[in-house]
Amino acid sequence: MPGKVIPQPDDLTLELFQAIASTGQMHVQQCADCGAYAHPPRYYCAQCFSPRYRMTAVSGAGTVYSHTLSHYTTEPAWKDDVPYATVVVELDEGPRIVGAARHPDPAAIRIGQRVRVVPEPRTDEFSFLTVEFDDAPVSEAAAAAGEAADA
Amino acid sequence: MTQGAPEASPIPGRMAIAGIGETGYLRGSDQSVLQMVLAASMAAITDAGLTPADVDGILPPPGFVAWDEIAAHLGVRNVRYTSTPQMGGASPTAALLTAAMAISAGVAHTILVPIGWNGYSALRPRPDARPSKRRFTAAFFETVRNFYAPYGLRSAPWWYALYLQRYVELYGVPPEAAGAVALACRAHAQLNGKALMRGRPLTMDDYLASPYITEPLRKLDCCVETDCAAAVVVTSTERARDLPHVPVVYLGGAEGHASPADELTNRPDMLRLGLYEAAPRAFAMAGVTAADADFLQIYDCFTHVVLLQLEALGLAGPGGAADFVKGGTIELGGRYPVNTHGGLMSQGHCWGMNHVVEAARQLRHEAGPAQVADCSVGLVTGYGDLGDGSVAILARGDA
Repeated sequence: MPGKVIPQPDDLTLELFQAIASTGQMHVQQCADCGAYAHPPRYYCAQCFSPRYRMTAVSGAGTVYSHTLSHYTTEPAWKDDVPYATVVVELDEGPRIVGAARHPDPAAIRIGQRVRVVPEPRTDEFSFLTVEFDDAPVSEAAAAAGEAADA
Repeated sequence: MTQGAPEASPIPGRMAIAGIGETGYLRGSDQSVLQMVLAASMAAITDAGLTPADVDGILPPPGFVAWDEIAAHLGVRNVRYTSTPQMGGASPTAALLTAAMAISAGVAHTILVPIGWNGYSALRPRPDARPSKRRFTAAFFETVRNFYAPYGLRSAPWWYALYLQRYVELYGVPPEAAGAVALACRAHAQLNGKALMRGRPLTMDDYLASPYITEPLRKLDCCVETDCAAAVVVTSTERARDLPHVPVVYLGGAEGHASPADELTNRPDMLRLGLYEAAPRAFAMAGVTAADADFLQIYDCFTHVVLLQLEALGLAGPGGAADFVKGGTIELGGRYPVNTHGGLMSQGHCWGMNHVVEAARQLRHEAGPAQVADCSVGLVTGYGDLGDGSVAILARGDA
């Protein structure tokens, strides 16, 4: 059975993924001249058009901008996960990140809830981005079940 | 710095659709994509009263088939112009603008615009089937692979749900609004001998009982996968007047894109489709608005995407499409019949070229039991990739 998609990016996105994987901390591209954040990373800053950038560590804190609860999947590797919730997080720094919800009751997810993006290492280069909810702490049992399902 | 419409565009009224062609809309064709595209193309050329020797431009789709093989197999010997808009399902309607530019500029005289695919069989290949040779190459697939697919969002319903859920949650859009779109398309398909869903009427109870794929999308919010091809032949309006059918005149059109175009979630407003940019420019060029249209052929990969496009066209304010579609407004007999052929939802998914073909059929007054009485102006939209938009405004050219 094919596993879940592990991306194999190159160039800028690989730099971002490596920054996250090597530190275990969420990172976002930031313009080295004007300080604007960008995601996904870009070769020129959309604000000041500078080509100079760095990958900057961020807390991962943000709010739910949108989300979807998937009840069906065409991918064998996800069949045991349904229903699974995916969240678009608007980081406090501005960029929006797609990640997998860690929520005991995914049907209760709403726009505006406070969350934190937490990377979980998968390979030397790729960390799976999870989304933890401030008001819905994941129980240890649920977390263990999630890890077992992901394994 | 603003980018207004050019003064006195040379485009309005100069080009007309002279021929239309389409295959069946099938769950499993025994023909290759190239064969289907050639069949639809030859049907459109013949319908125009022409032969391939008259064709001097080809605007092929952004995948599956290429212009050079189409020309070689049809016997088009002197291609003066070829080009392809790269925007998925927005491509066929956007290609009409490209054709209108080429024709009004005198670069080419008679242009074939075909598209086709094995949208059903590619996902369910027969044991002896060979894989498609040419796939789409848009950069957004890289975005999908890196940022969406790892989280279980591997194809269109799952990507689009990321913004459609925001739409229904922010505006309280009830499921019945999306259901009204599904029901209108299905009702119209009952009148169309080529519609995949003919003979399978749909009720609101059926719709509401449909299981979720990924919220807010239910199974019946999704269009049908089909093997099919469709094509149009366009030429100068002047020349079209000498051909067999009433010319279907291109009054104007536009393409528009959200930014960034290759990623959905980091747009200032995730709900602002490219059509919001395209529609005002198309209306300015054509000198008409959506309120002047006798029917709307709206790209309907998913029902909620139709609701958003009705708003982008200015027919309703943000969140207002839910009220707009109430009471039969978008059904035949209503003020704005939508997708009179059944659309992608219930006729078949031909990347919106079937919407262009149906618009031409309506304006020729050849739409049979689905005919919008005395229609003279029609509007077609395209939607593709991550929200690219296109629009074409067409008119019956018997004036």
